[in-house]
Amino acid sequence: MELPRLTGALRSFSNVTRQDEYTVDSSDLMTKRSKLKEYYCQTELTWNDLTHFVENVAQNEHQVVSENLRTLLKAARQLVGIEHEQETVESAAVFLFKTFHDKDHVGHEETKAVKQMFGPFPSSAATTACNAVYRIASNFSEEELQKLLCANEPAGQNSHVHFGKTIKFSFDSFVLEPSEELPLNWQTDNQKDFSLDY
Amino acid sequence: PQTLPLDQIQLPVPDKRTGKIQHLPALHPSRKKDRHFVLYKPPPQDGTPALVEEFLERANFIANDLDWLLALPHDKFWCQVIFDETMQKCLDSFLHYTPRQYDEFVNPNPAVEEVQKHLHRSVFMIFLRMSTHKESKEHFITPEAFGEIIYDGFLFDIPKIFDLCVIFGKGNAVLLKKMIGNIFNQQPNYFNDLNETVPTILQVFSSICDKCGLRLENHSQRPQKIDAPTKVSLMDMPVQEFKDILLYLCDTCTTLFAFLDIFPEASRTMQKHEFIHRLASFYEVIVPELESAIKKRRFDETSLQENLWKRLSHSRKKMIEAFHCIINNMCLQPILENGSDNILPFIEDFLQIFTALLHQKRFLTDYDEQFPVADDISLLQQAFPVLDETRTSYIIKAVDSAWEASGRSKPTFATGNT
Repeated sequence: MELPRLTGALRSFSNVTRQDEYTVDSSDLMTKRSKLKEYYCQTELTWNDLTHFVENVAQNEHQVVSENLRTLLKAARQLVGIEHEQETVESAAVFLFKTFHDKDHVGHEETKAVKQMFGPFPSSAATTACNAVYRIASNFSEEELQKLLCANEPAGQNSHVHFGKTIKFSFDSFVLEPSEELPLNWQTDNQKDFSLDY
Repeated sequence: PQTLPLDQIQLPVPDKRTGKIQHLPALHPSRKKDRHFVLYKPPPQDGTPALVEEFLERANFIANDLDWLLALPHDKFWCQVIFDETMQKCLDSFLHYTPRQYDEFVNPNPAVEEVQKHLHRSVFMIFLRMSTHKESKEHFITPEAFGEIIYDGFLFDIPKIFDLCVIFGKGNAVLLKKMIGNIFNQQPNYFNDLNETVPTILQVFSSICDKCGLRLENHSQRPQKIDAPTKVSLMDMPVQEFKDILLYLCDTCTTLFAFLDIFPEASRTMQKHEFIHRLASFYEVIVPELESAIKKRRFDETSLQENLWKRLSHSRKKMIEAFHCIINNMCLQPILENGSDNILPFIEDFLQIFTALLHQKRFLTDYDEQFPVADDISLLQQAFPVLDETRTSYIIKAVDSAWEASGRSKPTFATGNT
């Protein structure tokens, strides 16, 4: 239930705002999810980059890595749904690689990220993807992985200093500051309304 | 490095069809990213898991988008905030709906608390960045263009400014004073908007009185609706309705005080509508009636009765503090700053304001309890020794007689001719 607010009245009855009409429903969450998918499809790191990158592993590891890439793609298909194009599945697999490359299990943060991207999902698919990525990533050094992941980030996004990072912020807020307690003798006050003096 | 102000920079952009280079302003809608910010919804009060989950998903989307926005370079940040309406609505919905701490909203879910804190900080930083026309030596906007951008694009408006003050003003007063001061300085139209908003604030006072079945002194100026339903008295109305009145009063008084505390320069604009006289009348009408109703009504839970009493007591304090902010800004501060030069108009204002208030006895005693009138008069006498003593002693005597009539004993720290 919406709480009554002074600024709610000012938004409704004064003519100094844009008078935006908006209702919050869950349809915008759906739109947001599909925007996110689009965004990841447009990120620079591609499935091709990834497959090319893993070719650098030692000869005897090639087959294992290829199997894990196939497992990753399969898990990605489970997450995005079978009706989607190969291109979407591949970008989902890239997203999973980025999410799990330094994780050995699906933690809270990863669950949150996967859910934001795909909506409700079978946990077995996420676990399979995580394990596959872990096995792939274990063939490379941290530096090599970072180089792969950062080399393709859009310029000027992650490199820019976060505005306000060094600004001191306080969470102190207005709380109730009563200047007096409910009088203990209020019932006595109440009785003053009744008089026996007829 | 950028040397021109952002509003004057032109960037070479190849035409998509012809490939020919054309120059577009750096602040151009084509440079906005299609990010689609979602609207903010407050956390569910009952902790239903599905609702909590939906809240967390929504809030995390916003948190990530705000982080992204804060990490954008200066030019891209401004393109996004000017041209992305989804972002503007997202920020507005946060300011409008985020719980205030005095709402006493409690959600024990640590994930909810964590993301709320994240949003709280990020929203403030976005507004801080939006109120800064010079971010660094290389990154700036000309003050005139900045004033137009924030005003014409409704990046700031009076309700948002009020929200910012009440949400962030307690802990971040120093920064917020600079932000709000800069906004009003660079765009004086905000003073006009404030001037236009004051009647709506006064209307809120009337509306609260109406809900209580009470009338303000100047109420007769407004025609009574012919089909107005018969008012239910404070004693008979449903408990939820009674509670809502106290919530509304509490929010109204806290927000007004928060704004005046951060931006006391608004006092003169507000006083054009005799704001403090209306505030005192409102206090005089509403406080005794609500006090009496809280005491006399039957409540299923004593805790609710105590909570409503606290809310009323808090509202009283904030109304008095808001009144004092205006008196301080309009009369006392100029007297202190100007020494003996040109202080007569301020002294006259002070005396006139208090003389006109003397019949609001309940307000007067409560005000005197927090801000002793005699102390201020003594300040006036020190600054202007030849002050007409008849007028000052008249005020002091009226305050004392208001105390006598109240049946309460005047606290010892409130000095006067007792």
